[in-house]
Amino acid sequence: MFAMNSYFSVQYLAVLLPVTVVLYAVMPQKARRVVLLLASYAFFWAVSGKLLVYLLASTLSIHLLGLWLSHLQEKGDRYVKTLPKEARKPAKAKSLRRQRAVMAFAVVLHVGILLTLKYSRFFITNVNALFQFFRSPFMLSVPAFLLPIGISFYTLQAVSYLFDVYRRKIPADHNLLRLALFMGFFPQIMEGPICRYSDTAAQLWEVPSLSWRNLTFGLQRILFGVMKKMVVADRLNILIQNVFTNYEAYDGFVTAIAVVCYTVQLYMDFSGTMDLVIGTAQIFGVKLPENFQRPFFSHTISEFWKRWHITLGTWFKDYIFYPLSMSKPLKKLTSHARKHLGNHFGPLISGSIALFCVWVCNGLWHGAGWHYLFFGMYHFVLILCGSLFEPLVIKVTGILHIRRDSAAYRGMQIVRTGLLVCVGELFFRAEGLRAGLIMFQKMFTDFSLAAFDDRSLFTIGMDKYDFLIVFLVMVLIFLISLQQEKGIVLRESIAARPLAIRFAVYYALILLIVIFGAYGAGYVPVDPIYAGF
Amino acid sequence: MKYVKRGAAAVLFFVGLVGLLWASSWIVTPKNNMKEFGMEEVSANGILGEKDNTIDVLVLGDSESYSAITPMQLWKETGYTAYVCGTSAQTLDYTNRLLRRAFEDQTPKLVILETNAIFRKVALSKAMLSTLGNVLPVFQYHDRWKDLNENDWKGNVKFTWTNDLKGYRYNANIVPSKIVDYMVPTKDIANIPELNRQYVESIKNYCDEHGAKLIFLSTPSTINWNYKRHNAVAQLADDLQCDYVDLNLMTEEVPINWHTDTRDKGDHLNHAGAVKVTRYLGIYLQNRKELTDHRDDPHYAKWDDSLKKYEAKVKAK
Repeated sequence: MFAMNSYFSVQYLAVLLPVTVVLYAVMPQKARRVVLLLASYAFFWAVSGKLLVYLLASTLSIHLLGLWLSHLQEKGDRYVKTLPKEARKPAKAKSLRRQRAVMAFAVVLHVGILLTLKYSRFFITNVNALFQFFRSPFMLSVPAFLLPIGISFYTLQAVSYLFDVYRRKIPADHNLLRLALFMGFFPQIMEGPICRYSDTAAQLWEVPSLSWRNLTFGLQRILFGVMKKMVVADRLNILIQNVFTNYEAYDGFVTAIAVVCYTVQLYMDFSGTMDLVIGTAQIFGVKLPENFQRPFFSHTISEFWKRWHITLGTWFKDYIFYPLSMSKPLKKLTSHARKHLGNHFGPLISGSIALFCVWVCNGLWHGAGWHYLFFGMYHFVLILCGSLFEPLVIKVTGILHIRRDSAAYRGMQIVRTGLLVCVGELFFRAEGLRAGLIMFQKMFTDFSLAAFDDRSLFTIGMDKYDFLIVFLVMVLIFLISLQQEKGIVLRESIAARPLAIRFAVYYALILLIVIFGAYGAGYVPVDPIYAGF
Repeated sequence: MKYVKRGAAAVLFFVGLVGLLWASSWIVTPKNNMKEFGMEEVSANGILGEKDNTIDVLVLGDSESYSAITPMQLWKETGYTAYVCGTSAQTLDYTNRLLRRAFEDQTPKLVILETNAIFRKVALSKAMLSTLGNVLPVFQYHDRWKDLNENDWKGNVKFTWTNDLKGYRYNANIVPSKIVDYMVPTKDIANIPELNRQYVESIKNYCDEHGAKLIFLSTPSTINWNYKRHNAVAQLADDLQCDYVDLNLMTEEVPINWHTDTRDKGDHLNHAGAVKVTRYLGIYLQNRKELTDHRDDPHYAKWDDSLKKYEAKVKAK
């Protein structure tokens, strides 16, 4: 009965969160940890039911594997100390080999569960297609696993914890309750941010008393997130669904509008969820890492990915890119290439190989489908081209006397990056790669403003008032982002104002949601997009 | 002192917020019960335009109700006034709202709940939003910001529109049902979701408090009804001490011909089926001896005008 599917559900905002806050406030410090953990498991249960067992199993396994790694490290260290200097190196290597074996087992276990649950269907479907192509009589049965919510997120957290223990960045945690909180903390279990043990575990264990500042600041941030989701993302949903599902019925202009709308929706949905998540954590005195830093102010695709889904990007950087580029074969390749291709292009080769792996993983992390892989490859190519052509661009702009730091040039870069992102999101959202290619083609071969002239644009799922309110809220968010880019912390400056002004700001935000929110009859709220990945 | 100040600020904030939400509700609430004024489900809400205290029987339910009961037929044959507050895929949260709305200006002696809606699951979030909308209508009518006019700011509410078919939706199409023997006896009992049960209990309590009797009525439908559902409603009626009439089992009193009396393969009745159901309902109500025949009462003269329009519509088809 108490099922829910989103942080924006009435059950979460009106029941689970307030009840947890009240219990947290009245309980003594030690019991607060239990309150948070029970709330986390209640949330998971309400979303995924019995699949909670996967989260429990993952938590228990990283606890045990972490302790095992720690035991091997301590044992190895103790043993090495007893040896003479010349015998230490082989003993160290032997100990490391054992740890590596445990680590490999851990990765295979956790990533294996993720691969099985999330990708086996995609893999077997493609194998069957191959069988069919070769007219083979064999066909594998396609499994239909139920996916626990947030598995793509908490698996990465689990792997990062074990890697950090293995690399001795953190000690293995002997406290199962603390580890369980780190893995399952309810605000972030569904859509991240992907936290590191060193970022959040200690904070979660600290469970400070509820403070007025944390409560009010947290609630403000939640409201801001709800506004983004309910006023913008949900309002755009019907138009996006209509165009992407029946893409053949619409011309290039409508397709382009839908693509821009989807990019806006994705940003508003995900960043709005992050506002809610980070705001919720703030209420409990936990500072979660930011996942967005105004990505549409980026000048290049590479910068965009440093500002969009930041914790995923840093995870890939720390656990895939660096280990690969620092591996012996790639190091060798770099030094060889440096000799023959110079200092700019030489390191690019091994960097590109590592980057390629990152973007294969990034694409597939978002979903099991060729269009997700295409999405990953699209960004890989863009980032690679950015690095390859950087010297050329500097040269050409120098010859043409174009100032790269001028407002016009930087503005052009921002618009260009935004357009490239939109194209990527087209393939990301399209109902398969073929549909994405057709839609992309239409924007160039079937473009006309007829849908605007005959007003049919306003009958697809959004009327002119819907467009107007979305536009106005986007302007508001742009102005806020502009202030943030200048380093102005708006919430602090609002908090310093007299009570009447603060109240007016909060009332405006609440009324904006209540009156202009896309909820109730006639609206279909967008399912949490990133929770599906 | 710090805590007192903060407490006072919080109270002040919430009082101000409720005031603003109340004011917004006042602005966006439809000022008339017509579509152009922003009223939803105008057929069901036509009851708001009926003369005060003139409705004897209030019918609630989903599309089964507005397909199976024709109040003008009932008026013609018995002189009882009924209004069908039926809407497509009605969920009990809306049933509850329509009931309370109807009782603002009416005092029906009988409330008939068509039982198909009892099995339509109400999402908890929808129920909560609906409850909020009952208290602060801005949560229900917020989308009216798109078409607010001068009158909305003045706040003069006057419901003037009435429905000549009194909530019934005429449909004479015939698409026969292939299923005929759908009421196979069993002891199995269909599940009524807990929240739905609570809604029905709330409806029953409200009727009791307002001096109305609640009757469960299952109108014939080969698609939607079965013996398991009958058992569930019979048990619920027993628990709540309500009368229950299942026309699916009364094939002699209500001789539905599934080749001619349905408009969509047994899902809903057509006009011929509705006439049969209403005819039996008239007899049933007469036998209860709780209602008065208003046909000679000049206070109800408008019902005769509506009857003429109803008959003209039926004849025209």
